Amino acid sequence: MTQITIPLNGIDADCLSQLEYSLSFASEEILSYNVSADGAALELALSSDEAKGRVERKVLELIERYRQRECALPKAIEFQQQRELPVIDAWSGLIERKWITPVGQGHVILRGLAAQLAGLIEDRVERIFGGAFNAERELYPATISCKTLDRIHHFTSFPEHVDFVSHLKGDLDVLNEFTKECRDGGWSPGANQGKMADNDFAICPSCCYHCYEGMENWEVEMPGRCATMVVACHRYEGANHRTMSRLRAFTQRDVVWVGHPRFVIEGRAKAEELIVQWATDWELSGTLETANDMFFTEDYSVKASFQRQQQAKKELRLNIPHENIAISCFSSNFHAMTFGKAFNIKVGGRTASSGCVGWGYERWVYAIFSQFGFDFDAWPGQLKEEFESYRRARESRK
Amino acid sequence: MELNNAINDLRAFIRENFKVPADDSDFNDDVHLFDYGYIDSFGAVELTTFVQSHFGVTVKDSDLISYPLNTIRQIAEFIVKREKGEI
Repeated sequence: MTQITIPLNGIDADCLSQLEYSLSFASEEILSYNVSADGAALELALSSDEAKGRVERKVLELIERYRQRECALPKAIEFQQQRELPVIDAWSGLIERKWITPVGQGHVILRGLAAQLAGLIEDRVERIFGGAFNAERELYPATISCKTLDRIHHFTSFPEHVDFVSHLKGDLDVLNEFTKECRDGGWSPGANQGKMADNDFAICPSCCYHCYEGMENWEVEMPGRCATMVVACHRYEGANHRTMSRLRAFTQRDVVWVGHPRFVIEGRAKAEELIVQWATDWELSGTLETANDMFFTEDYSVKASFQRQQQAKKELRLNIPHENIAISCFSSNFHAMTFGKAFNIKVGGRTASSGCVGWGYERWVYAIFSQFGFDFDAWPGQLKEEFESYRRARESRK
Repeated sequence: MELNNAINDLRAFIRENFKVPADDSDFNDDVHLFDYGYIDSFGAVELTTFVQSHFGVTVKDSDLISYPLNTIRQIAEFIVKREKGEI
């Protein structure tokens, strides 16, 4: 194993966290990395001596992307609620109780009270948000065409996290060979080598994309329409997957507005009021603050600065004391005409704007158990009451 | 560069590049280009590139934060001041 140290000059804390995230995608020749104790350099362990030059070039390119003089990311905190929290290892506690079971990198099964809590959150979204906006329920496939992702510029913003889907080639020899290899030695990644058809689909990286492609060439009635959906989404995040704070496979619920920009902006603003009320009701510790997408391309800083300045993205970030981090559990986004243009969606004769708010159910469950633990009597009053009432209603239906 | 010339060039670029219909009654030199949906983060990259190449002024990412660049007029004022070295 070879070690290298690369100095970090002019990167502030906010940009540094984004750089650290991105390093996971810099090179597969990086075995591990960390920021030095004084915060002045990156220390990387490489797979070989020969990798030094290649890795250094790639890491320097990323550092340049995030350097402070180029990257301006002001943060506006719109809501903040903090309370004294115990430090609870919810990940271990959930596994121990068999309420979650990890089943591969970034994949978990939820059952028992973890699944029931996800059910309560789903119920609350439906009741409060679906109702407030008269959102129409839509059902979507779990996968999405690569052509659609290309049309909405997904590959030029987030190429690193797409989980492509493919199947074996429609060829008898290939199918026979694959079956034989699995029968003889069990499946391994090598069994797929050279046998896969071209990719034409990917697992949905985001919940709402089908909504826009499904409205291609629509003339929407003024001022616009609101839809809601739940989709099992995937984002590959390299070495960043951990606990339930960053899953590869997760369940996302969205409420989407498509229409006149005023309609979209007003809907989004109302949803932000409702989420702040929700966080207050359940006494959740965290913030609602401006954010940016983790664009993984060389024009990162322009896009990210623009998003922050225009408050195009906000996140409800809930504290996870055991990991000493806050995770985004809800996001609110304004897309301007990005999707309206891509799919020729019109409203009142002009291209429609869109916006969405979204929940990651697994993250909500994880944040709640992380903040309040497993003694339900100690949970905040309203959360405890709603959870008990939800569980009673489920029991009475059995 | 005169302010009006900068406004005219910017208006023409945005109309053409972001496909603003000729009869769009919301579109004017003082409309908030983001809130009214004309420009998104991809558009910001294109507009920044245009301003730098067409007007020959530098636009740093931090300028997007430091100056109000929400309307055609505000962007034109920024260009004129940057060209004169006032900002």
